[in-house]
Amino acid sequence: MNNVIIIGSGPAGLTAAITCAQKGLEVSVIDEYMKPGGRLLGQLYEQPDGSWWNGINESKKLFQQAVNLGVQFYLETPVFNIEKKDSLWVVYTDKETFQTTNLLLATGAAEAPVPIPGWTLPGVMSIGAAQIMTNVHRVKPGNRGLIIGINVLSSAIAMELKLAGVDIACLALPKNNQITHESAHPKKVLDSLLHVAHMAPSTFVKLGSKLMKNNFMKELGVTFYPRNGVKMWDIPIQLKKAVIEIYGEQEVEGVTIASISSKGEVIEGSEENIAVDFVCIAGGLYPLAELAALTGCPFHYIEELGGYVPLHNEQMMTPVEGLFVAGNITGIEGAKVAAAQGKIAGLSIAKRSGKHQLDEDLKDAVQQGADTRKNAYIQFHPEVDSGRRRIQEEWEEYLVNNTVQFF
Amino acid sequence: MRESEMIICRCEEVTYQELLDTAITYSCSARELKLRTRAGMGYCGGRTCRSIVDQVAKQVGSEQSKKNISLKYQAPIRPVNFVDLGGEGK
Repeated sequence: MNNVIIIGSGPAGLTAAITCAQKGLEVSVIDEYMKPGGRLLGQLYEQPDGSWWNGINESKKLFQQAVNLGVQFYLETPVFNIEKKDSLWVVYTDKETFQTTNLLLATGAAEAPVPIPGWTLPGVMSIGAAQIMTNVHRVKPGNRGLIIGINVLSSAIAMELKLAGVDIACLALPKNNQITHESAHPKKVLDSLLHVAHMAPSTFVKLGSKLMKNNFMKELGVTFYPRNGVKMWDIPIQLKKAVIEIYGEQEVEGVTIASISSKGEVIEGSEENIAVDFVCIAGGLYPLAELAALTGCPFHYIEELGGYVPLHNEQMMTPVEGLFVAGNITGIEGAKVAAAQGKIAGLSIAKRSGKHQLDEDLKDAVQQGADTRKNAYIQFHPEVDSGRRRIQEEWEEYLVNNTVQFF
Repeated sequence: MRESEMIICRCEEVTYQELLDTAITYSCSARELKLRTRAGMGYCGGRTCRSIVDQVAKQVGSEQSKKNISLKYQAPIRPVNFVDLGGEGK
């Protein structure tokens, strides 16, 4: 019998586990992966102050701290169902069935697919898979690859692949269709990239981002975008080329790429083949909310947070008694924000478990979370703040017609 | 390979064209699109194609609710042996 079970051992889950254990609670953490750390494991980048953020080291530190505090870990243990029986949560895994009074879902995010003709060939993988292969397992996904989808995540991982000595032919857009939609539209993509331009070690991109604050300039920017792309870390970023097919007999042998107009339409006759032995698809992230959905927790679709998110308040409580959420399940943001949310959730759980004098701590933690968001180096959605406000408004509206059991 | 022949749901082998035609013909919600084509109903539980089925319904089908998840999740959400599910085996 546990005071708290945490599903997910990423930055949110680990920080919550540490916080709960420091307050004297019995904590178990369950994760389907074989190593603790979640998406933190894949991260490797240089911070503005010149120091390197190494996700593997950060994961180890958090895991060790949790273990020292007596947190129990169950790795390689997928949870296939959760349900509430009387006032207890029952957590089903293929190894054991657990019971707990407080349940924290810190299940993170999943990658959205982008279908391209030929995407079922061996050698096509999600950008996250390429990151885990390279940084965690130290296996090259191939010798020369191409990345379909230009966004924050794919440009960061392209740089990591480059560091590992993997050649990247280019980053290009997917061909425009009913599914790829905005991710195939050069102006929309440019728009979202401007928010990460400060990361680019290219003067052209940095200067360009300052010039392109208004729509007219953006239109010009796309129109005059160089045919051969702009280089970031020596990798061409092709805003005006789209992949129309991935080809190969038994596995990936290459891609067919074509020039596109500033609206994303393919220019006939511009097709060319690029030989590669692997292809990464980067469709962006969405909150992985399947377990929360099983509990009957209300959901809201909020674009700025990456999709459907379970209803929750600033203290990371859901309207379902004893159910808490933290990290990317509440909206797509960076690891530091996820960790800050984990701390808030941990304090909320300690408070619900009868630990006293936590109100000040909780208030500080909420403030700290907001500050972390404001100072975040990487913003997955430029309007994430307004998304956070929306879910808080939805929560307040929910309280008008429903009773929620507070602590 | 043509775009129309591109497989979207690998488990049930549902193509892009099949999804588009169905969504347009019946002005489907995501759920109706799933039930009519079987996309997302195979053994993986729609773990890859779910968001595509959603997207097709949103673009060419009917208006979707922002208050409810469009495609329901049901346990087991991960593959599990009957022995572990039934309880007699251990």
